[in-house]
This record gives sequence, C-alpha cells and structure tokens, in this order.
Amino acid sequence: MEAELEPCGIAVEDLAKTYGGLEAVKGVDFRVGRGEFFGLLGPNGAGKTTTIGMLAGFIKPTRGRISIDGVETHLHPMAARRELGLVPQELAFYPTLSARDNLLFYGQIYGLRGQRLEERIRTVLEMVQLSERTREPVSRFSNGMKRRLNIAIGFLHEPQVLILDEPTVGVDAQSRNSIFEGLGRLHRKGISILYSTHYMEEAQRLCDRVAILDQGRIIALDSPLNLIHTLETWIIPVKFSAPCQDSFLRRLNRFFPAQEMNGDRNGLYLEVSNREDALQRLFSETRRSNLTIRTLHLREPDLETVFLRLTGKRLRDAPP
Amino acid sequence: MNLAGQIFAISAKEFKILWQDRQALVLLFLMPAFFILVMSSALEGVFEAGTSDRPFEVLLLNRDAGRAAEETIADLKRLEGLSFIEIYRGAPLDRERAERLVREGKFGFALVFPRRYTDEILRPGTEMTGKESKILLLVDPAIPRPIAANVMGTIQGAVERRRLAVQLPERWRNFFQSRQEQTPFEGFPFGGPGNRVEESPGGGPLAIPSPGEEALQIKYPGDFEKSRKPTATEQNVPAYAIFGVFFIVLTLARGILKERIEGTFLRLLSAPLPKIAILVGKLLPYYLVNLVQIFLMFAVGVLIFQMRLGSVGALLLISISLAAAATGLGLLVAALGRTESQVDTLSVLLAVSLGALGGMMVPVFVMPKIMQKIALVTPHTWALQGYHDSIVRGLGAGDVLMEAAVLMGFALVFFSVALWRFRFH
Repeated sequence: MEAELEPCGIAVEDLAKTYGGLEAVKGVDFRVGRGEFFGLLGPNGAGKTTTIGMLAGFIKPTRGRISIDGVETHLHPMAARRELGLVPQELAFYPTLSARDNLLFYGQIYGLRGQRLEERIRTVLEMVQLSERTREPVSRFSNGMKRRLNIAIGFLHEPQVLILDEPTVGVDAQSRNSIFEGLGRLHRKGISILYSTHYMEEAQRLCDRVAILDQGRIIALDSPLNLIHTLETWIIPVKFSAPCQDSFLRRLNRFFPAQEMNGDRNGLYLEVSNREDALQRLFSETRRSNLTIRTLHLREPDLETVFLRLTGKRLRDAPP
Repeated sequence: MNLAGQIFAISAKEFKILWQDRQALVLLFLMPAFFILVMSSALEGVFEAGTSDRPFEVLLLNRDAGRAAEETIADLKRLEGLSFIEIYRGAPLDRERAERLVREGKFGFALVFPRRYTDEILRPGTEMTGKESKILLLVDPAIPRPIAANVMGTIQGAVERRRLAVQLPERWRNFFQSRQEQTPFEGFPFGGPGNRVEESPGGGPLAIPSPGEEALQIKYPGDFEKSRKPTATEQNVPAYAIFGVFFIVLTLARGILKERIEGTFLRLLSAPLPKIAILVGKLLPYYLVNLVQIFLMFAVGVLIFQMRLGSVGALLLISISLAAAATGLGLLVAALGRTESQVDTLSVLLAVSLGALGGMMVPVFVMPKIMQKIALVTPHTWALQGYHDSIVRGLGAGDVLMEAAVLMGFALVFFSVALWRFRFH
C-alpha cells in the first residue's frame, strides 16, 4: 500500500519520463505549498515542459506520483484535473472566436453554466483588463492582450492550482505588469501557482521558492534570496573608455580565474567573493595600463547569477 | 547584400523549409505521378471501352431453338466491342437470374431471345408485334445514356439485319405463291408502277418494319418505371455529391492539425474530460456538415432538375454510412499528417484519386478489369452503387443494406487506424 502524498498544492515524488532511450526527466521530487508561488526554472531541454505536461495530465509519466491539491492524479485523474488550471506556452484558444466565446467554451468544458458562468467570464475579463473587447475576434488582439486572455482561460474555473508555462513570452512591459498584477491577486486568494519562465527577473520578483531544473534533475530548490545568498559573491560589470590591450586581460587573468571573469577588450564582468581585494587589483591594473574606466557598478548577485553558476548556461535575454 | 543575394537567401531558406518536411516533399512528387497512373488507368476506359480490346459485356440467354436466334447470335458475336456471356459463375443463365444481375448493377445489359422467336418471325403474314417475336434487351438504368445508346444501337442494328435476312426468302416464297395467278409484273416485289409495297399482304418482301415491328424490346429491369428513362442528373448528381463529400477530409484534417499546433488540444487534455469526448465533439460537426452537404446537393437535383430520389430510406442509409466513412478518412489523414503541407497534399491526393478510382469521373464498368477490382476498395464505388440503386434502379432500403454495411466497414477501418496512430500533441 502506497503512503499518501502530503496534501499540498502540488506534490511530486520520483517523477520520471523516458522517450525511447532518452530520459527527459530523471526522478524529480518537489512540493508546492497551498497558496505558494513556485518557480520552475531551467534552460531549454532541461525537462520543464515535460514536467508540466505530466502535471497537467497530457504526458504519461514513466514512473513517479503526482498529487494536485491533495488528489493523486493516477488514482483520480478527472478530480485532479478539476482542481488544475493550465496556461500553456502556446496561445491556446480559438483566434476566430471572440474572447467571450472562448471563455464560454472553456467554462462549459469545466462544467460552468448559466449565471455562474456569466459571472466568472465578467470577473476574469475584468481581471485581465479585457472587458472592453469581449465581442471582437481574438485574432485582432495585440500579443499582450492575447497573453492575458490565455491566462484568463486558465483560471476561469477557479482552480486551486494554476500552472503557467512561459506566460509572458513576447509581451510588452505594460502587459507584463498587468499580468503580474493579476497573478499577484490570484496568489493572495490562496491559489497555488507553478510558474515556469526563462526570465530570472520575473522569478525573483514573483516566486516564494524556485526549483532549478537542468538535464532532467532539480539541482537547486529554495527561495530566490536564499539561493542568491549561497553564492556569497559580488558582481562588478566594468566598461572601458577605449579597448584594452590583450596583455592587460592576461594580467587580470592571473588574479581572476576564468569562472570569475568574463568579457572582452571593451568591458568585463567580474563575479568575486572579496569585493575590496578585487576592486584594488582592478584599479591598480587599469592605472598600469593607462586605461580609463567609463562605468563600474558594484552589485549583489541575482538569480541569473545563481543559474549561471549552477548550470554553466545563461538563460535567454532579459525581458524588454 | 545585393538584390540577387537577397533573392538567393530567401530561396535557400525556402528550400531548407521544404527539405525539413521531407514527407510532404515526397508526397508532392508522388502526387502527380500517382494522378497520372490512376487517372490514366481509370479514364482509359472512356476511350477503350467498346473496342475489341475491352468489349462491353452483355449477358445472353437464348430460349429459342430456331435458326433465326442462332444466326443472330453468331452475327452479334462477330461484332467488335461486345462480348456475350452465356454462362455466369459456372451456371447457365435463366431469365430471372439475368434480370437480377442487371438489376444489381453487376452487368449493364442482358439480351434475352424469346422461346418461339424463329417461328414467330417466319410466320407468314404476321405483324411483328407479338411478345415472342421480340428480343428483350435489359439495360441497367445506371449506365450513362450515351454508352447505353451506343450498345443498344449496335445490337439493334445487328438484330434487324439478321431478321430481315432470315425473313426475306420466306417472304419471297410467300410472295410468289400468292402471285402465281397474277401477271408477271403485277405486284412486283420492288413495287411496280401503281403498286406500293405496303399494299401487299405482309407489306411485301422488302418492306421496312414499322416502329411497332422493331425486333428489339428495350426494358429496364425490376421495379423501374417502364415509361421512365433515368436522366443525366439522376446518374451524375450522386457521383458529384460523393466526390464533394470527401473534400471534408481536407477541412477536418486541417482543423485537427491546427488544434494540435496551437495548443488548444493541450488545454482540453488538461481539462476533466476523456480524450474520446474531445474527438467525438470535434468530429460530430463535420459529420453533420457532410449530411447537410449531401442533402443540399440532392435538393438541387430535385428542385432544379426534377431528379427522382427513389427510396428515402435507402438514401438515408447510404448517406449516414457515407458521411461516417468520409469523417473517418479525415481523422485518418489528421493522424498521419504531421505538417500542414502533408495534410493538404494527402487530402487532395485521396479525394481526387479515390474519386477517380471509385467511378466519379467515368463509370467503373468501362474501366479495365484490374481497375474495376481496385474500385471495390474505395468507399466511393459502394456509395455510388447504393445511390444508383435507389435513384435510378428504383430499389428500396433493404436492397442497399450491403452497400451501407461496406461503407460502415470502411468507416470502422479508417477510425481504427486513425485512433491507433492519433496523437493529440
């Protein structure tokens, strides 16, 4: 007899998926508490989409167990799905229909009817600020509006767990903020949110905890702040007024090994644990080479730094 | 980059895209080759049918023991373009069996010589209007009229010539016997001055038979109204309807592919409903659209061309089964096609080539034997047979059960293979 999974928003135990000979997800475990905003980060091919597919029920796990709001998916798949809302990366709606018609359809799929359905449509359209454009075909919407509708469909039926896969891809800053506001409201209502993103800034801003997935395994799981503090490093981006000499870079390399220094003849990106010592060496070498520093910042590391340190890979470009 | 360079870059990119979808590329090359093969083989019948290489098959039943029938048959067998079958599947034909085979559409024509044909046509002074003096040609009303007219004319010509040849010596003999007491030139066989052949008893030895005396009686078998001939509309509308119905394959397969690409299937898969509900919900409108399509096409036939429908029950049975087969094929194409190009090419390929093979462009019976056999593995052939049974052969719902069952069989096979291969994402 299997022990019951701990009741929480999402519980995942030894979850794995193999395609042919390729193990895309290699036995991951994590818990998303009720009302928690949980980030799932990872480079392309890390296994994020496969993990989300298994959570949402459209990819069958090779092994492992999942529970959604305390309901085990392999025992009661339909009951688990009722508690789940999915916002796929694709704009998963019918572009020739209006926003209202799309919501009407998906609401009916989840068993909403009559007055209740009308109320929910009104509420979600207000939340994503689309109340003025309910009757026109969605194909005429801007990308940001489409993204907002995509999210609205996900929480229309008031799920206890909401899974969002890259919900802000390709949207402008204004729409992005509008999406964050809406998600913040859902979070405050106590909905458990699993948020997959490439944008570290978003994860750092929104998530209570994040899991970093690489090559099918979770390699770190903690709050963004704790993950950052584990690094105990400082970030020093430097720009020179004129391109520096190769000899200058060679000399700096003696003080800063490859993992601490990136850059080229126009600028450097230092990641150091002792900031005083690093700055002293940098200034002394620039003086010696008659170089002028145009800009220099001293800042604490961020989630991007953590990610880079852990995976050796950068996520894609920062949001606009 | 200069203009030529830019054009080159765009072309190179396009080739890369084409190359990435190799299955679609293969289909693009295969499609014209396949069309040439299928269309040439199917349409070959139009030009070859009725020649010595590919004669029209006519069932032959000789119930007369006399020489007139024998000689007529010998003449007919010498004709190019017609081949006569007296023994079918190891057993000689009888009147009922011959009629049934024509009625079922297995043969287009059956020629039946009456029992006392020779006696009747040689009986002196008899008007050739008696039942036993006429050869019966049973014609399947579903045979296109130009083809039927061609065959009927050929047979009629041969029959009339032989009848006259058989009758002529007898007529001469009778003529001279009846004129023995007259002057030599009175009542001259070619109609002498002041004498008209029609005035001689029996019309004179060289008299041309009047319309009532035609040796060939042409009849449609079974319950088909005797005074009625099927119109071109009755023969063509069902074929066009079936051809049109299978174009739903393209719309349906594209619709499914779009849901797969745009991720709407993913959202539905994460919802609390079984996969089968998603598929049934998706297919049902297309199935109904097919039925409406058939209804509209037949309505045009009835309202504009006064087309006769025959048994409504039979039409319903065939239409319901046909729409199921077409919808099943649409799902199959959606299951096999991975890209838009693959789906588009496969849909057109199937719609056109199955249509050609299934007798939508030329009747199956004029196709080469091998193509006639291949035609049986297309739903089109069975649907057309079913519709013709009702509309032009005047048969009822009970008579089209087999056609409906075969169409449902096609639907079952299409759905089974499609569900086996289908992927929602």
